[in-house]
Amino acid sequence: MEIKTNTDGSTLTISVSGRVDTVTAPELEAGLKFGDAKQVVLDLADVPYMSSAGLRLLLTAHKTMMAKGGELKIANIQPTVKEVLDITGFSDILNLV
Amino acid sequence: MTQRRSLNLKLVLSVLAAFLLSMAFTWFLHSRLSERDAYKLIDSTFESVEDEITDCVDERLVRQCMAVRERLDEGYPTDLRSLQDLAREMGVTEISIADAKGDIIHASVQDYLAAPGKPAFNFRTAGGKAEDMMCLVDGFATEYCQPYRSNTANGAWRKFVGVWMPTTGGFVEIGCDGASLRALSRASLVDLFRNWRVGGTGGIVVTTMSGLVLSDYEEPNREGAQWEEPDDSFYWKRKEIEGFPTYVMIPRDSAAVQRDVLVGATAVLNGAALVFVALLVGFVISAFVRNQIKLQTAKELKMATDIQLAAIPNVFPPFPDETSFDIWASMDTAKEVGGDFYDFYFTGSDRVLFLVADVSGKGVPAAMFMMRAKALIKSVAQTGKQIGQVFEEANDALCEGNSSNTFVTVWAGELNIRTGHVSYVNAGHNPPIVRLGGKVEYLRSRPSLVLGAMAGARYRVNELQLEPGDAIYLYTDGIVEQHNAAGELYGDDRLLKTVSGCTKRRDGLLSTVIADVRRHAAGAEQADDCTQLVLRYRGEPETFSGEYRPTMEDLAKASADLAKALEGVPDDCANIMMVASDEIFANIVRYSGATDWTLTVERTHHPDGVRLVITDNGKPFDPLSYRDPDTTLCADDREVGGLGILIVKKTMSPVTYRRNNDRNILTMGKEYGDQN
Repeated sequence: MEIKTNTDGSTLTISVSGRVDTVTAPELEAGLKFGDAKQVVLDLADVPYMSSAGLRLLLTAHKTMMAKGGELKIANIQPTVKEVLDITGFSDILNLV
Repeated sequence: MTQRRSLNLKLVLSVLAAFLLSMAFTWFLHSRLSERDAYKLIDSTFESVEDEITDCVDERLVRQCMAVRERLDEGYPTDLRSLQDLAREMGVTEISIADAKGDIIHASVQDYLAAPGKPAFNFRTAGGKAEDMMCLVDGFATEYCQPYRSNTANGAWRKFVGVWMPTTGGFVEIGCDGASLRALSRASLVDLFRNWRVGGTGGIVVTTMSGLVLSDYEEPNREGAQWEEPDDSFYWKRKEIEGFPTYVMIPRDSAAVQRDVLVGATAVLNGAALVFVALLVGFVISAFVRNQIKLQTAKELKMATDIQLAAIPNVFPPFPDETSFDIWASMDTAKEVGGDFYDFYFTGSDRVLFLVADVSGKGVPAAMFMMRAKALIKSVAQTGKQIGQVFEEANDALCEGNSSNTFVTVWAGELNIRTGHVSYVNAGHNPPIVRLGGKVEYLRSRPSLVLGAMAGARYRVNELQLEPGDAIYLYTDGIVEQHNAAGELYGDDRLLKTVSGCTKRRDGLLSTVIADVRRHAAGAEQADDCTQLVLRYRGEPETFSGEYRPTMEDLAKASADLAKALEGVPDDCANIMMVASDEIFANIVRYSGATDWTLTVERTHHPDGVRLVITDNGKPFDPLSYRDPDTTLCADDREVGGLGILIVKKTMSPVTYRRNNDRNILTMGKEYGDQN
């Protein structure tokens, strides 16, 4: 799994590449550091699928950003990830762009 | 039932008692009414009778008085003695002659005449009721009758009658005591009321003071006979009119006729009403009972259908671990319980028998025969005998004691799941439809005799080779013989067209056919059971198997093995299988307490699909019974637990779980692409 971060003004973009499952979730968890950023975009263009291990991280990150008055946006999700988010109702909670 | 009967009896008795009571009351009421009416009638009759008698007596006396006047006019002497003689002769008590001033100038009574110191009796000044007679002098009448009453002058009872004397302007008056009055007028009263009727059969009787009958209404007439007062069988009253005791009488029977008619009519009407109500109540009750019986019968038939349906396999897919073939069947029962059935079971480790059958007739007998036939075939087949022999033995057993001549048509095949070879027997059943190498057609073979018809019958065994992707479709005649309103059957051609045009997986073919049959029927009632079975042969799958320990390293290894085994599977299918398996792997490694676990991947073709079998020796856990989490809560309330299982259930099909040899065995599959 590869995780790249890029800050553009007040917006932090985190790009993830690779599957998110039980094995890789700890890596992603370690990579989801937002610092002082108020706007975070999580780019999942290169994530082919994500199991519930990844969902837990998305929910935690979402709540963290909400708590500090910021916003987490999730961008470029792939069909299988979308399917999982839809089934679990996460599509309605997360900011998908 | 007994309770209801005694209830009915009580009901009838109380209704009867109420009826009798009301009739008694009506009878009593009308008795009193008829008595009152009878006396009213008697009283009013007396008014007429009194007038009639008085008129009659008056007329008689006026005639007598005129006769006296005639004698006087002829010059009869008017001295006291002569008048006394005349009175005697004329049968009256006294005669007086008054002048135009009202003075009595001649009389048969000395007291009336003038004497020294005493003026003559003057009608106008005498006072009392004598003055009435002056109407004759005053020109208001030419004859006048006073009632029979106590005389003013001397207190004697008299009836006075006067007639005007044109010769003098005065009048002549006769006076009659009771005896002379009766003597004069009794002849006029004879038979006076003979034809009068009071209240139907009642009448009037006039008698003399001595009790002799003058006028009678009864036949034979009792005139002249001694009168006896009526007894209790009459309503009656007695009244003396002009000195004649008169009776108005009505037989109680006659008066009661009206009452009896009324009571009778009331009884009839009430009775009729009662009978009507009883009939109505009876009808309602019997309709209720009939309905109950109908419901009961319907319930029993429903039970028969339920038992029948429960007796045939109804869990699909029936062999979730089998990848070399799949089998789906359905039975849409008609309103009336029929005798269709399907069945399938392993007759050896690699042989599966499948069949569709149709018992002749309908109702509970057909259902019972069906149960017997199904059990017999299965019990013989599971001894591992060759299919032709199975049919021969089952047939012989079914023929035993089959007095009703019920029979059953059966098409049965036995598939070798390793080779795809099918041996089949057709006992008088419709030919199945086969899909062989993409070509869809009827599999026609010379049918053998139906089962249950004749003991000792032989059953021809035919052979068929299925390749992966081939299928065989069995059905009963309820499908092809379903008609529409125009009487047009669904027919073999339509069925073939529908089957060959359908590429749906699983039981999609069965529901498609049923929908098309219903569309054809267009509302016409389903005439017969519609039973279908489809068996698809897939052949031996490509498999991968691995054994793992409950560590994250092995979890990663299993994921890698699966990813490799899924090479060539389309991304969307492969990715979602990776997600689903990750959920199961994580559960096993983290929570199951298993010491080892396995993954088997089976790749099937025709249709293309993947099936994962994951086993572990951990504590029993059935993910299918796990309650789904609420996916509609907001972010703050959401928990992550249970989402993995939800994902598996929503994305994989079929998913099955069983516990076997202390292992959890979970299978999950997914098909992709077209069936063929």
